[in-house]
Amino acid sequence: MTSADSGCAPGPIRIGVLYSRSGVTSAAELTQLQATMLAAEEINLAGGVLGREVELVCLDPQCQPRRYADLAEQLILEHRVRIIVGCYMSSTRKAVIPIVERHNALLFYATPYEGFEYSRNVIYTGAAPNQNTLPLAGFMLTHYGSRVSMIGSDYVCPYESNRVMSDLILERGGEKVDETYLPLDARWESYLEAARRIRRLAPDFIFSTVVGEGIPHLYRAFAHVGLDPYRMPIASHMTSEAEIAIMGAGVAEGHITSAAYFQSIDTQANRLAVARYQARFGGDQATNMCWEAAYFQMHLLADAMRRVASDDPTLLLRVLPGLEFDAPQGRVRIDEHNNHTYLHPLIGRVNAEGRFDIIGRAPERVKADPYVVSHRTPRWTTDARPDLARSGGAR
Amino acid sequence: MKRPAETPAILRDLRSLKVVVIHPHDQDGEELLAQLQRIGCEVEVFWPRVDCLPAGTGLIVMAVRPETLSMNFPWLGASSSPPVIPVVTYENPITIEAVLQLNAFTTIPSPVRSFGLLTAIAVALTQFKASRARDRYIDRLEQKQAKLRLIQQAKQIVMEARGVSEEEAYQLLRSQAMLKREQIETVAGEIVRAHETLSF
Repeated sequence: MTSADSGCAPGPIRIGVLYSRSGVTSAAELTQLQATMLAAEEINLAGGVLGREVELVCLDPQCQPRRYADLAEQLILEHRVRIIVGCYMSSTRKAVIPIVERHNALLFYATPYEGFEYSRNVIYTGAAPNQNTLPLAGFMLTHYGSRVSMIGSDYVCPYESNRVMSDLILERGGEKVDETYLPLDARWESYLEAARRIRRLAPDFIFSTVVGEGIPHLYRAFAHVGLDPYRMPIASHMTSEAEIAIMGAGVAEGHITSAAYFQSIDTQANRLAVARYQARFGGDQATNMCWEAAYFQMHLLADAMRRVASDDPTLLLRVLPGLEFDAPQGRVRIDEHNNHTYLHPLIGRVNAEGRFDIIGRAPERVKADPYVVSHRTPRWTTDARPDLARSGGAR
Repeated sequence: MKRPAETPAILRDLRSLKVVVIHPHDQDGEELLAQLQRIGCEVEVFWPRVDCLPAGTGLIVMAVRPETLSMNFPWLGASSSPPVIPVVTYENPITIEAVLQLNAFTTIPSPVRSFGLLTAIAVALTQFKASRARDRYIDRLEQKQAKLRLIQQAKQIVMEARGVSEEEAYQLLRSQAMLKREQIETVAGEIVRAHETLSF
């Protein structure tokens, strides 16, 4: 085993950052970038790692998969970086994996995705389907009904989420009344047309796997055609505070999201992190599930680097599996065998302030199971007795 | 390509799939075992040999290397043995020949990576099932073909012996079968054998 030369050299520890500042999913990625910056500043304020500063090398891939790959290689070869945080859509992660595997670098990926992946060189801190899609399906099919309309962005993650949802609908003898995929850059008119079709079909709820800029379009179109979220909500595992900030609370109110984190979580760690974030980036800044994963993965990384006194990926991979951290959502843990993260699934409903009222929560953190094909609905989602009246919140 | 309405049964049943891994405990072996466990299969590892497969084995993942070439696995080639996915380290003709003898539908290259194993399993199980179904279908066709041939021969004999038409010969065979409460091909067989006995 080679010792890490870069880890022993003086000077800052450089970490590559690949979040987009422009492009279709930049709203969420921008919050991930700022979360990474906040965490790095916190780590440095606390004395850095082994007396060395953490220095971020931020490059902007503009939501183009090829650029993620090119910039990842640039970070490794020109900036001598061994650790990269970033990527959002699966296409961007798939583009970077061959690069980090070839150079034995390490990617920290903080976005929910469709599962069925394990790379020794990736740490996955976002939710796997058994931690978001599955709870959402169980909750919605139990409490709203099983006539479901599906709308998603036209790429792999929505297909897989809809497969999981479809299986669970069929199991209950329910009905998939519509399955629509719109291009990532679809315009307002396409969403308006979809909303009109939904109104005509009158499903029990809408399962949305739309990502990025399409999300505000969908929710606005829904409001535009006069649909009532309290009677027929859109349920999503991607719609977060970042998109609500764009569409406005008035449009978002009543719709439902499953995630391992909402800004409204009432923990000491979350209140402090949100306060520090707003003090640094502005009082109007909202946090979200992707923000939180981007934030806590930096602290997990710093902790791992302290333990092995290095930023060498091979050494870090000896301590990262099994490592725990008190994240804003609660205590998280990197699984020993699949490099994914134990998370705390929640079901939230947007209130009039544009924040999530938590209407369902897993009784304990849930192990990520990225390779599960046949899902078994978690009991807590069907046994929950949420107050779904207009002003309802956590019991 | 259209997405199927439902998840294929082979994938749904992966968590109850029993996999036998015949592989040394090296880095490839560890990677295989870890990925199979991530996928959620029930795994048993053997090395160097396994003379009797555990009951219910649904898939074998097996190292094909110079040292395995001389090994003899008694269950290989038996009609009841499950599909084999060879893990190949060499691409020389001798090793490839050994792989071909396993009737594999897909292979896993060494060094083993986590990526690709799930697809290899799905391909192997699906093709194996299809091939089994095809074999059974061919068996049935062959049996049917043999019966038809026998009946044809018997008809020919009856036509010549009795001087009747083909249709009349067939009706004679049929009524004999009904009288004796036997299959028409049984009666036909008796006639053909009797005829052969007499033809000296």
